[in-house]
Amino acid sequence: MTSAVDHHHGPATGMTRWLFTTNHKDIGSMYLIFSLLMFFIGGSMALIIRMELVEPGLQVVQPEFFNQMTTMHGLIMVFGAVMPAFVGLANWMVPLMIGAPDMALPRLNNFSFWLLPFAFFMLLSTLVMDGGAPDFGWTFYAPLSTTYAPPSVTFFIFAIHLAGVSSILGAINVIVTIMNMRAPSMSYMKMPLFVWTWLITAFLLVAVMPVLAGTVTMMLTDIHFGTSFFDAGGGGDPVLFQHLFWFFGHPEVYIMILPAFGIISQIVPTFSRKPLFGYASMVYATSSIALLSFTVWAHHMFTVGIPLVGELFFMYATMLISVPTGVKVFNWVATMFRGSMTFETPMLFAIAFIVLFTIGGFSGLMLAISPADFQYHDTYFVVAHFHYVLVPGAVFSIMAAAYYWMPKWTGNMYDEYLGKCHFWCSFVGLNLTFFPMHFVGLAGMPRRIPDYSIQFADFNLVSSLGGFLFGFSQLIFVLVVVKCVKGGKKAEAVVWEGAEGLEWQVPSPAPYHTFETPPEVK
Amino acid sequence: MKERSCSSAVLIILAALWSVSAQADWALNMTEGVTEVSRSIYSLHMQIFWICVVIAIAVFSVMFWSIIHHRKSVGAKAEQFHENTTVELIWTIVPVLILVAMAVPATTTLIEMYDTSDSDVDIQVTGYQWKWQYQYLGEDLSFFSNLSTNPDEINNKVEKNKNYLLEVDEPLVVPIGKKIRFLVTSNDVIHSWWVPAFAVKRDAIPGFINESWTRIDEVGTYRGQCAELCGKDHGFMPIVVQAVTDEDYALWLTEKKASIAAEVAAAARVWSLEELMVRGEQVYQKNCAACHQVGGQGISPMFPALKASAIATQAEQRDAHIKIVLEGRAGTAMQAYGAQLSAVELAAVITYERNAWGNDTGDIITPQSIQSMLKSK
Amino acid sequence: MNIWKVFKAVFSAFIGVQSEKNRLEDFQANSPIPFILVGILMVLIFIFSLVYLVNFMVYLM
Repeated sequence: MTSAVDHHHGPATGMTRWLFTTNHKDIGSMYLIFSLLMFFIGGSMALIIRMELVEPGLQVVQPEFFNQMTTMHGLIMVFGAVMPAFVGLANWMVPLMIGAPDMALPRLNNFSFWLLPFAFFMLLSTLVMDGGAPDFGWTFYAPLSTTYAPPSVTFFIFAIHLAGVSSILGAINVIVTIMNMRAPSMSYMKMPLFVWTWLITAFLLVAVMPVLAGTVTMMLTDIHFGTSFFDAGGGGDPVLFQHLFWFFGHPEVYIMILPAFGIISQIVPTFSRKPLFGYASMVYATSSIALLSFTVWAHHMFTVGIPLVGELFFMYATMLISVPTGVKVFNWVATMFRGSMTFETPMLFAIAFIVLFTIGGFSGLMLAISPADFQYHDTYFVVAHFHYVLVPGAVFSIMAAAYYWMPKWTGNMYDEYLGKCHFWCSFVGLNLTFFPMHFVGLAGMPRRIPDYSIQFADFNLVSSLGGFLFGFSQLIFVLVVVKCVKGGKKAEAVVWEGAEGLEWQVPSPAPYHTFETPPEVK
Repeated sequence: MKERSCSSAVLIILAALWSVSAQADWALNMTEGVTEVSRSIYSLHMQIFWICVVIAIAVFSVMFWSIIHHRKSVGAKAEQFHENTTVELIWTIVPVLILVAMAVPATTTLIEMYDTSDSDVDIQVTGYQWKWQYQYLGEDLSFFSNLSTNPDEINNKVEKNKNYLLEVDEPLVVPIGKKIRFLVTSNDVIHSWWVPAFAVKRDAIPGFINESWTRIDEVGTYRGQCAELCGKDHGFMPIVVQAVTDEDYALWLTEKKASIAAEVAAAARVWSLEELMVRGEQVYQKNCAACHQVGGQGISPMFPALKASAIATQAEQRDAHIKIVLEGRAGTAMQAYGAQLSAVELAAVITYERNAWGNDTGDIITPQSIQSMLKSK
Repeated sequence: MNIWKVFKAVFSAFIGVQSEKNRLEDFQANSPIPFILVGILMVLIFIFSLVYLVNFMVYLM
């Protein structure tokens, strides 16, 4: 401990700084930049999809490549963009918010980041392999992903393994840091909600990533070593794959949204200049949501032929779990009520989050009604639903967090005008893209098809135009970040008038080493 | 300048929207369908939808009211209250009660959907990459249903017809007013048999049989699609169901059986190379071209080429060629066509593959030789 | 900390509503273990009561 105080050195110079760094701020920045890069790669794949779907007929790509695009888009966005972005935010902010000098396991931190570029290089390299990239959807249902898969599936399996190891190590680091590195006066009940939600998320990650790893390993042995876990011909069961996948997959949904709840619960009080309404309820509900999220997975499988009692069980459980999740929205609205609000870019993203995530929540509630799900399942209605949860949900919360803390990271204010441009273009673009998907889904358009019958033409054109607007608007964000890193109005220590918490006690930009002596929490 | 380019962009978008709406409709909602179950599902869908709308209006009007009135720029001072357990309990319990109220009709509908007993007609539906097989149980009748859309329409060479991608060569024909039970399974990967108008969607899982049922009220043609990603041509395996009256159904059964018998009889006569080539090309387009491509070049490495390949050109590989077509290749999209096509069709398509695209072996495969190979197996 | 308080706290978590006063009281506890154990127990109770309810509904209709 003393040596850290003695050596007041700054960062190393050149490439070695980034390769060997154990500094939570450097690693956090690398995570964020990596996830932004993946966001653009996954996004360009989405634009290829939208380009093909502009009008009926095959124009731009062939069906086999289209399937590779839908698969890679999903995998990259989930495992390469959203999850690393949250880990990056945790790296930067958790130590600052709990008054710790760094993460508890700095070398492990470096390792868990550097696994990711290799994992995704391996995954992306499948695009140029003979037989093409994985083409079985991001849910990779067996036997399409085993017996009938292209040869590159083995690379996909190892990429998932690597990304999974990285997530588990990152999660362990977050748990250990929060449990052991809090400033002495930072008790659990004083922790900011972002730290709370990340603590719970980290436990979810440690619980479910091994399930995913086990599932892909079973695929591997099915493909190469003659086992028949998912092959009915050898006594296995393709539906077993879906149970395993969604036992991972449903908690995974909460992994991608709980940290977002935390971020919104930081931002809304700041710009309302009013404490968060029902902090206690939020903490309690989040922990129980985490436990109950393990009891609803088969609502993704209502049409696979599970028995009647199974359908009813998962329908009731899903409806019940939606309530504690849904009332969080009431808490945020009550926080705004009788506040003194201003609407800087982070707040705009947060308000859009509340409205649009609620729309995604409502369509989720509709999907929970099992008989109706027979009509919704595997249509564009589902695509609309989960994009409303993930884009204005997870992605907008990450954007909000980036704008909220960027002055703390860089020491400069971002360009508010450009930030607002970015927000409004994204907001209009994403609604144009995803709202019409509700309509085509209800009208009967299945998901993951490269070509469609002509009655779906109008709304698909709207979606494609919106998709391009949304995609290209994200370039504004890059411009904002570059400008902000290069210069701009100097930011004060307390960047926002209503901001509270330890991260605002350190100067802006946050020095390379912070809280070498623990701060006093009020 | 900037404004002008902006407004011209808007004009272009509007013009584009106008041109497509000439051929399509802006359908917004789920179909009510033509069965009792599909109507109860529709009403569940509308109930939960309106519940969501009402809650949304309530919550967002409070939110936007606060946004307008409680902003700093109009001089709002922030209060410091931060909890009220009673209010929180109320807004938790009310949604729970609403959901319990929703769960009751949902349960009734679901129980009805699961009651597959006492059926009048039983049809086994088997998914293949990328077509459906329909077997009428107890009727000794079975056939395949393929996409019949002209490839030129898909490749934008000719105008698309109004049932583009939703048309098949052999529709499933069923009687109205009868309880029809579907036994859904698959031969290769997971598919999903979905007809929105019946609200029937069942995953077709290899090695397992799922049950579902419907009772159709109105005569008509109902269209659906495969709903589960099943590989390359997932978007090109539609479902067409013709619901007809009892008399028409009986008539159709007799005619269908007669045409199958005629096809079997045709195997006995002698076929010339030209006849086999003409028939073979049709069969090839329907069953083989999706993977091996129209020009026989395949898509490396998943779908091997036939053009100039050893198996389709060398004399000593002739029996191997026939064997693969009849028995398929396990673990690939190459199916066992011996059970799917008639002897004439098999003979024609193998002859075609050995003579088309410059393969020019001059081989004639006779329907009789196919029959004897099928028997010896 | 008596066991009923733990049950009450976990139940509050399940419905997602807790008052500040009770939260402060809950966080006086020395160890989180009872909360975690009771939490898992309540999830099991939740699962089995739902299974029972579902079977009853099927039997009823």
